[in-house]
Amino acid sequence: MQIRQLPWIWLTLTRGAWLRGRAPRRLLGGAGLLAALLLTTGCGLQKDVDVDLPAEPAQLVVECYLEDGKVPELTVTETVPYLSAPTATVLNDVTVTLTSPTGRVETLVFRPGRNFTTRKFYTHRGLRVLRIRPGDTWQLSVKDTKGRVVTGAATMPATVPFDTVEWKFNDRPADERRALVTVKFQDPPGVGDYYRFQIHRDSISGAREVDYNPEDRLLDGQLITLGTSYEFEPDDTLFVTLYHLDRPYYRFLQSVDDAQSANGNPFGQPAAVQSTVQGGIGVFTILNYQRRQIIVR
Amino acid sequence: MRFYSFRVALALLLLLAPLTLLAQAQYLLRGVVRGTDGGALPGANVAVPTLGLGAATDANGRYELSLPAGRHRVVASFIGYKTVTEDVNLRGPQRLDLVLSAGTELQEVVIEGSGTLEQKLQTTQMGVERLSAREAKLLPALFGEVDILKTLQLKPGVQNGGEGTSGLFVRGGSADQNLFLVDDAVVYNPNHLFGLFSTFNSDVVQSVDLYKSGFPAQYGGRLSSVVDVKLREGSRDSFGVSGGIGLISSRLAVEAPIKKGKGSFLVAGRRTYFDVFTRQINKLNEDTKDYNPIPDYYFYDLNLKANYQLTDKDQVFLSGYFGNDVFGFNSTRGFNFDFHWGNRSATARWSHVFSPKLFTNSTATWSYYTYNIANKLDQFSFGLGSNIRDWNLRSDWEWRPTEKHVVRFGGSGTVHHFGVGRLQANGGSFNIGQNVEYDGLEGGLFAADNFTVTDKLALDYGLRLTGFRSGSNDYGGLEPRAAARYSLTPSLSLKASYALMYQYVHLVTNSGASLPTDIWYPSRLSVKPQRSQQVSTGFSWLLGAGKFLLTDEVYYKWAQRQIDFRDGAQLFVNPELDAEFLFGRGWAYGNEIYLEKKQGKTTGWLGYTLAWTKREFEPQRGTNGINGGRAFFPTYDRRHNLTLVLLHKLNKRVNLTGSFVYTSGNPTTLPTARIGVQDVYGGELQAVPIYPDRNSFRLPSYHRLDLGVVYKLKPWRTIGGESDLTLSIYNAYNRRNPYFIYIDEVKNEETGLPERYRARQVSLFPVIPSLTYNFKF
Repeated sequence: MQIRQLPWIWLTLTRGAWLRGRAPRRLLGGAGLLAALLLTTGCGLQKDVDVDLPAEPAQLVVECYLEDGKVPELTVTETVPYLSAPTATVLNDVTVTLTSPTGRVETLVFRPGRNFTTRKFYTHRGLRVLRIRPGDTWQLSVKDTKGRVVTGAATMPATVPFDTVEWKFNDRPADERRALVTVKFQDPPGVGDYYRFQIHRDSISGAREVDYNPEDRLLDGQLITLGTSYEFEPDDTLFVTLYHLDRPYYRFLQSVDDAQSANGNPFGQPAAVQSTVQGGIGVFTILNYQRRQIIVR
Repeated sequence: MRFYSFRVALALLLLLAPLTLLAQAQYLLRGVVRGTDGGALPGANVAVPTLGLGAATDANGRYELSLPAGRHRVVASFIGYKTVTEDVNLRGPQRLDLVLSAGTELQEVVIEGSGTLEQKLQTTQMGVERLSAREAKLLPALFGEVDILKTLQLKPGVQNGGEGTSGLFVRGGSADQNLFLVDDAVVYNPNHLFGLFSTFNSDVVQSVDLYKSGFPAQYGGRLSSVVDVKLREGSRDSFGVSGGIGLISSRLAVEAPIKKGKGSFLVAGRRTYFDVFTRQINKLNEDTKDYNPIPDYYFYDLNLKANYQLTDKDQVFLSGYFGNDVFGFNSTRGFNFDFHWGNRSATARWSHVFSPKLFTNSTATWSYYTYNIANKLDQFSFGLGSNIRDWNLRSDWEWRPTEKHVVRFGGSGTVHHFGVGRLQANGGSFNIGQNVEYDGLEGGLFAADNFTVTDKLALDYGLRLTGFRSGSNDYGGLEPRAAARYSLTPSLSLKASYALMYQYVHLVTNSGASLPTDIWYPSRLSVKPQRSQQVSTGFSWLLGAGKFLLTDEVYYKWAQRQIDFRDGAQLFVNPELDAEFLFGRGWAYGNEIYLEKKQGKTTGWLGYTLAWTKREFEPQRGTNGINGGRAFFPTYDRRHNLTLVLLHKLNKRVNLTGSFVYTSGNPTTLPTARIGVQDVYGGELQAVPIYPDRNSFRLPSYHRLDLGVVYKLKPWRTIGGESDLTLSIYNAYNRRNPYFIYIDEVKNEETGLPERYRARQVSLFPVIPSLTYNFKF
């Protein structure tokens, strides 16, 4: 069930959604559902129903995150009816090219596989490592034999280094001793900087313990501190990552979150996914992040 | 501000021109109708049956009748009171105050005189519903909590915002287009617990008038309805205590004379006690590892009302309200969260009677709504809040130059303060303070004449001039109002009305429900005043020897500058919030049929509404508008709405009540397609919904039967008084009504991978019986 449980309410708040100004609405969505939750849980007030959802023409869906020093990988799929079975459909008639700032065209070949570091699947992969610097703009073109075309452009954001990465334990008894983590960084002058703060435990391919997207609307040019609740155990190995995002990617993340929240939230307003590409749905962006490995003890 | 003073003066003169008709050689009989407890009775009926004349008392219990000289028998009646008859010998203007005593049978028994139906037949006013708290108290209620707004939802043309919520959507208007007044003070958020309960404690409500169309000229500021709540006055004769113990809250009211026969006060309070139980549950689980405590939640209301008769011609009233919802959470992980919101209001009114033909009310009100969120985690803390505050002065005059004219005129001025957003955040190295505030000035002048042209034809026409200033932005407009009634036969009247309304303050909300974090925002910069016009026509037909009144009204309403927000809008603490608005138009039309019976052992009503509501937001401001610019049905659009309400007095002790509601399913948006998003490092493949046209799907229809029994207990031997037990059964046949539908992912238990997707329907309330004990001594 998609109804957010109570801890979600404060996780939303502690995880900084308020910085982008949506926390109160989400809070209320969650808190308002409290009564519903209490009443519906265990009372048999949910049931399967048949709904007749109209079929829309399938659109291409693209997901591609470029990184400096990495071989580019891209996943192309298409939209499927929501209630259809979750079977993987691989599109084998899609041509993908990237164009560098200098105009050099890189072809990504159809070679479905899985990246062993990130554990992410891809359908197309480049033939060589890319060198990308902040400010570089790359173009994407995705075409299939049915005439569907998706295009996009992405610019690598500037590097925003960590100022400090710290942790602190609470004063609870030994078996309840937990640490919070804080990071500080200097926001560049000028409103319009977007960030993503993630913490992974043990491996960067595992579940994200912390993941939120602050912006500098109210913090422009300041030394920004981001933090967690007391949630890490002694000797935890953590990967702390701070992404500096461009606005289109930030909007994409935000809209994906909104679209998911609206399904199962009677207070939510359905939101369209704000793609960073044209002609289809999806995201094409260039990542620039700082990552530090720490052991809290 | 452009007030068009010359044009207004001219318009007012034109309005008053028909008053040149000379007075007749008749005398005015006037007075106040009160209960034995001294409280004025608005809506009571005063009639001289031999002449076929009658009048309803106004909000202050006053009535006036123009009668020929001589002897007359005057009959006064009101719901739940014994009818009183007085003889007068009229030789000049005379005052006759009438005192009605409560019926010997159950206090709430409806014994309303047929005069009320006759008045509804005769009045020019269309689209108005008057409800007494006594009626509301008899009807079954969710958790036994009598809620006058939910009772209003049983009237034609009024929709709710969702199961169990007290939000009102009147004739296609949105929730922020209702003007809620409590003793003339504006209430900005009349909800507790996210709309499940209203802020109106039924113990202190005397009556509610809901205007859906043909708005009288003294009202303005909202497009779709006026909900005018009058609180009752305390007893002028004796000390009294009343209250109730219910499933989720208890109530207590104390009233006493300030000076016997001259004035009285009333203090009433209500508080819920969910938190008493949840704290105990938390206490029992405090040693449980990883236990998440249930947050504290409660709400309370406090009402105060006092009145005093200074002289035969002067009376003063004070009325106050203070209410809060409190939601708190302390986590063992060091996180503290406090969220409270509430309304406060105060009213001071002086009523003065200059002459039998002229009286005035001078009123000062103060309204305040605020919410505050405070959150603390170790060295981090933040506070978020918003508020709106009004100071209002108004003067209302009523002049009856002849028996054919009732002229009302006056003016009001409001100073608004909009605390649109306040944010304070402190951390180890940062300190953010952001405060977005605006001021606004709103003014209105009005004049209207209710003109009885002939026995068959009556007109009510008026004009309202309004203006609004915020910063350097000025807005204004003329709001003509007109209504007419033509009596085809003594029992059949045709009616028509027109009203134009402006709304200068707007609710910033991005959800389908009334939430306490919704913000009020003034007209400024690109946000122009909302405007609507409504025409309605219909008939009222008195049937069954005056026992039934059948009313039919057709309406068409069109509105400009309706507001919504772009996807992903930043609604909180945004100094450029006006850039997030989208503007569009809306229109609504429908037919309301209403059959009511207010006399005899069995009373009630049957209502049916057939209606359409649409909104359209074209591409603008770099967006595709809403729904790609195509018109769509808002969530409160309901094609069919049927309500049946019955109240039956079984015997002196037992009243049986029931209500049945059927409505078409509300429009909703369901995702038709999904995409898979893997995201960057970590996490799993997520299914992300893709939504088609807004509200292109309809939920299954909604229907529900509620039943109630009111059983009057024997009076207490020692102190007298009375008490009753009220049994309510909400959703008697346990219908699983749809609250919302979502698409769920079913995962394989072994692999953890998605296996299939299914649509799930969530219902909110099963059958809920509740028992409430009410007392009064």
